Amino acid sequence: MTIENKLKEKIDEIMGDLELLVGYSPSALPLKVNPAFIEKKEETGSLVFNKMCINNLASYIYDLSKSVKGTIGIVLKPCDTRSIIQLASEELIDLKKIKMIVPGCSGVLDYKKIQKHVGGEKIISCKLDGESLAIETISQKHELKAGDFYADKCYWCQVHDNPAHFDEFIENDQKLDIEPREKYADIDAIEGKSIDEIMQYWDEQFSNCIRCYACRNICPLEICRDRCITNLDEPYWQSQRINTEEGKFFQLIRVLHLAGRCTECGECERACPRDIPLSKLMKKSAQITEKLFEYKTGEEPDKKPPFLTFKDVEKNIKEENLS
Amino acid sequence: MSETVKNKIEEGSGTGPDSNTDKKSDVKIVAFLCNWCSYAGADAAGTSRLRQPENIRIIRLPCSGRVNPLFIIKAFNQGADGVLVSGCHPNDCHYSEGNFYARRRLEFLKEYLPFIGIDKRRFAYQWVSASEAQKWQNVVINFVKRIEDVQAK
Repeated sequence: MTIENKLKEKIDEIMGDLELLVGYSPSALPLKVNPAFIEKKEETGSLVFNKMCINNLASYIYDLSKSVKGTIGIVLKPCDTRSIIQLASEELIDLKKIKMIVPGCSGVLDYKKIQKHVGGEKIISCKLDGESLAIETISQKHELKAGDFYADKCYWCQVHDNPAHFDEFIENDQKLDIEPREKYADIDAIEGKSIDEIMQYWDEQFSNCIRCYACRNICPLEICRDRCITNLDEPYWQSQRINTEEGKFFQLIRVLHLAGRCTECGECERACPRDIPLSKLMKKSAQITEKLFEYKTGEEPDKKPPFLTFKDVEKNIKEENLS
Repeated sequence: MSETVKNKIEEGSGTGPDSNTDKKSDVKIVAFLCNWCSYAGADAAGTSRLRQPENIRIIRLPCSGRVNPLFIIKAFNQGADGVLVSGCHPNDCHYSEGNFYARRRLEFLKEYLPFIGIDKRRFAYQWVSASEAQKWQNVVINFVKRIEDVQAK
């Protein structure tokens, strides 16, 4: 029995207790899936769960938990549960109201990587059979190996078959079978450059930013909504001009807002229409919080996030003395 | 005012090291100081005529905990060569815990800055109390010197 069928069976079983179920449904576009919001038991047949389910459905949960009175069921990949746990640790959502339905994950494909590989041509159809991926574009057919096109986070995933927190866990017979990669390899590559080269690298990247705010809007943890400081007149933090400096400043607002909170789901980078490597910015901040405060985001619902608390003596902080 | 009179005034005032007044560097440093300690300390340094380089622009805040890391980023964005934050010593905060939160945020920012291409040495945070005028003078002299070194490279 496929994981999709097992998932549907489980959902049918518990659907009676739920007011709303958030899951994945098929999309008209190849390589993509849509979010589905299901209220009636009869509609669960349209649910899917496969390697295209890269979206993090936790992005919807903050707003839904405000508007839905009853229990919300939500289909989450094991890595996505971290976003929910993080929101709960900040007391932004109530875990009792949420039922996390977690199917085991065998990795998700990053359609942006595939799109890039086929030269940006429109993809008409795709077929995934085990590890072989057949892609048909308007001009030609490609036979690809799925192993090269997983989302970045899959290559260093630790939780694909053992999520720390869940309400329902569904074992997946198909295991994540890809060559693991070093999580911070791309960070180290940037840090290996000289300080001027780093500045230049980011200037090039941020010159692409059109401040569409897609990264902000999709983020499961950026729940500031209309109170985002980029929208304020007083203080006037950010001008409307679109240029490198403003793009950089906007991204640093995001970095600082998400410091010690980001669960590295990679949604910002996926949503970015200009392919700015936003998850690198987030990874670096995760690396620092891990080092300084020994805090891993999205794993401990009862622990306070590092910037909402302090210790008298910080053993990992070495203060410098200029006098 | 004639040049000679000006020189005489400069020679006569202050007791600190004079090396900094010989060559004037054009580095610009923004300093965010806590109202209750470092600002008073810097004021005391002034009233007790401890000579300091003139590169520092001081902004007074109610607490080092008031420092949003974005202040620092914005200062760098607007052309500051260095940013200094100074507040009360841990456990001495006027609001009892503001500087503890500040320490975490500022240390995070300090670690993060090199990743976006800003030299770590351009930013520093220090604890200077209201009575430590001498310390404030040293901090300013050393920090300005450090920024000049970074700039020279």
